[in-house]
Amino acid sequence: MNAANRERLGDVLSYIFMLVIFAFFAWPLLWLLSLALRTRREVFLGVSRFIPKNPTLENFTLILQSDKFIGYLYNALKLSCLSAIGCLIVALPAAYAFSRFEFKGKGAWMMAILSVQMISPLVIMVPLYRYMAAIGLTDTHFGATMVYIALAVPTVTWILKGSIDGIPKTLDEAAMIDGCNRFTAFVRVILPLSTPGIASAFIISVIGGWSQFLVPFLLITKESLTPIGVGIFQYAGTQNDSSIQLLAAACLVSVVPAIVAFLALQRLILGAMTAGAVKG
Amino acid sequence: MSMLNASAGAAQAPRLARSGANEKPRVAPWLLPLILVLGLFYLYPVFDVFRLAFMRATLLANDGSYTLSTLIQTLTRPELGQILWVTFVFTGSSVVAQQLLGLAIALVVVRGESRGLFGTTIVRTTALIAWVVPGIAGGIIWKMLFNEAPFGGLNSILRLMGAPPVQWLSDPHIVMWSVVLSNVWRGTAFSMVVMYAALKAIDPVLYEAAAVDGATARQRLVYVTLPQLRSAILVNMILITIQTLNTFDAIISLTGGGPGRATEVLSLYTFNVVFRNYDLSVGAVLSILMLAISLGLALVYAVFLPKDEK
Repeated sequence: MNAANRERLGDVLSYIFMLVIFAFFAWPLLWLLSLALRTRREVFLGVSRFIPKNPTLENFTLILQSDKFIGYLYNALKLSCLSAIGCLIVALPAAYAFSRFEFKGKGAWMMAILSVQMISPLVIMVPLYRYMAAIGLTDTHFGATMVYIALAVPTVTWILKGSIDGIPKTLDEAAMIDGCNRFTAFVRVILPLSTPGIASAFIISVIGGWSQFLVPFLLITKESLTPIGVGIFQYAGTQNDSSIQLLAAACLVSVVPAIVAFLALQRLILGAMTAGAVKG
Repeated sequence: MSMLNASAGAAQAPRLARSGANEKPRVAPWLLPLILVLGLFYLYPVFDVFRLAFMRATLLANDGSYTLSTLIQTLTRPELGQILWVTFVFTGSSVVAQQLLGLAIALVVVRGESRGLFGTTIVRTTALIAWVVPGIAGGIIWKMLFNEAPFGGLNSILRLMGAPPVQWLSDPHIVMWSVVLSNVWRGTAFSMVVMYAALKAIDPVLYEAAAVDGATARQRLVYVTLPQLRSAILVNMILITIQTLNTFDAIISLTGGGPGRATEVLSLYTFNVVFRNYDLSVGAVLSILMLAISLGLALVYAVFLPKDEK
């Protein structure tokens, strides 16, 4: 077999592999979509109605008409956006310091921040639940937001440091010669220039907050304050096989915002993530 | 505790050095918010977990005395061996499968891109979409796929092909592999992204040299690609091992740990002990066990890292 033939065989094998991989990753979501578009009768016809004969949007209308679900979605959006903003406020100055200043134990600090991520949220939730209960922060969005911030802040600090590293130091120096101090140079020069890094860090923590389950499940018991991650779990517990199409629609509603946010900024997010992971 | 000392050191260092350089910035104010958050939400809770482990506290009451009995009683619980074995099988097979599949996809995508094949972006994006799906939703989605009713997305394909149905979630011998499968679906994209970036970072000169020496595709993979990926693979394995050890939302909504205890991993067990049985001290001991396992594994992997990249 000559080289060109071997390459062509390789192409065929690549296509087969990619097809299998595509089927594996796409099938669960396509199946979810298919179920969500079916009527109750068609649900029980299995794969033969993969494309429903009488597709209906009724399941979505039912889900989105209930105040409960709108509330879940609103709470999730509020919690994840507020915590993402809080996270930036905490992480940006630290990321700037790690990128620009030389100080004793800097490497150790960076590693400490990274290794904090090894601690399972479950471990810290055990004592945190008690404190929060003692100072009356359970059943508040404020308490939950603070924990979300703490969980996202290590990753976000690393991402932002990587992005600030990419801005030449001479720009800070020029700004400081022109009369800025460190802080105004940071606010007026560095912040505007690191918008892509800030945007991806923001979206990463929003998506992280959107998928939170443990923290709100433990801290929030009032239905009116519950975000979608917990809402969908409780909803799933109350559904049975005869309303699976409603559960599918509800599930899709909870998943789509995260997917859309990710796809919109895919390039930015991947760049920021791999920069951190590959550098270690 | 070491963190508090370090913060004091970081605050003092610039003050001492200021006499030397004309502009030596103060570091402490920049780090203060981060230190506060980490101290309040990680350091103190972890300290408290250690304290609770030596008490006999429940979520509702605490007699305030210290004892070793909780520690001993927890570590000799009869079900703990089963829980640890389940955790080991789940984590081990998820990590190996994610690493291998992630590497395979990255290799094929990189090859496809260089050959101008159609669909590489579609494959990559599809895997990434699965990765963004929240854990709870992922569990619910897979529960629908594994369902043995007519709307089960896997059995209805099997039926179409004339194969007998599989009891994905009710057979205690199969259920573990179903859970691993769903976890691999959600987790592989991360490994794929890391492997893809690492592959792109390999110097093309190495492949040219290998080609001059007449290396076959397999030799290029074994002698050039894999050695170059070594540290990326290890870092990735550390990250996904820790992620998988801490996974519990995807399991709680898929099987709830059942049938019996067949899929009750350590994190889910800890959750049940604290928040269903309200046994705070036992939960604290289990939390320490989780911490020790993560730390131990991270150290084991770190030993294999090349010296210059530690």
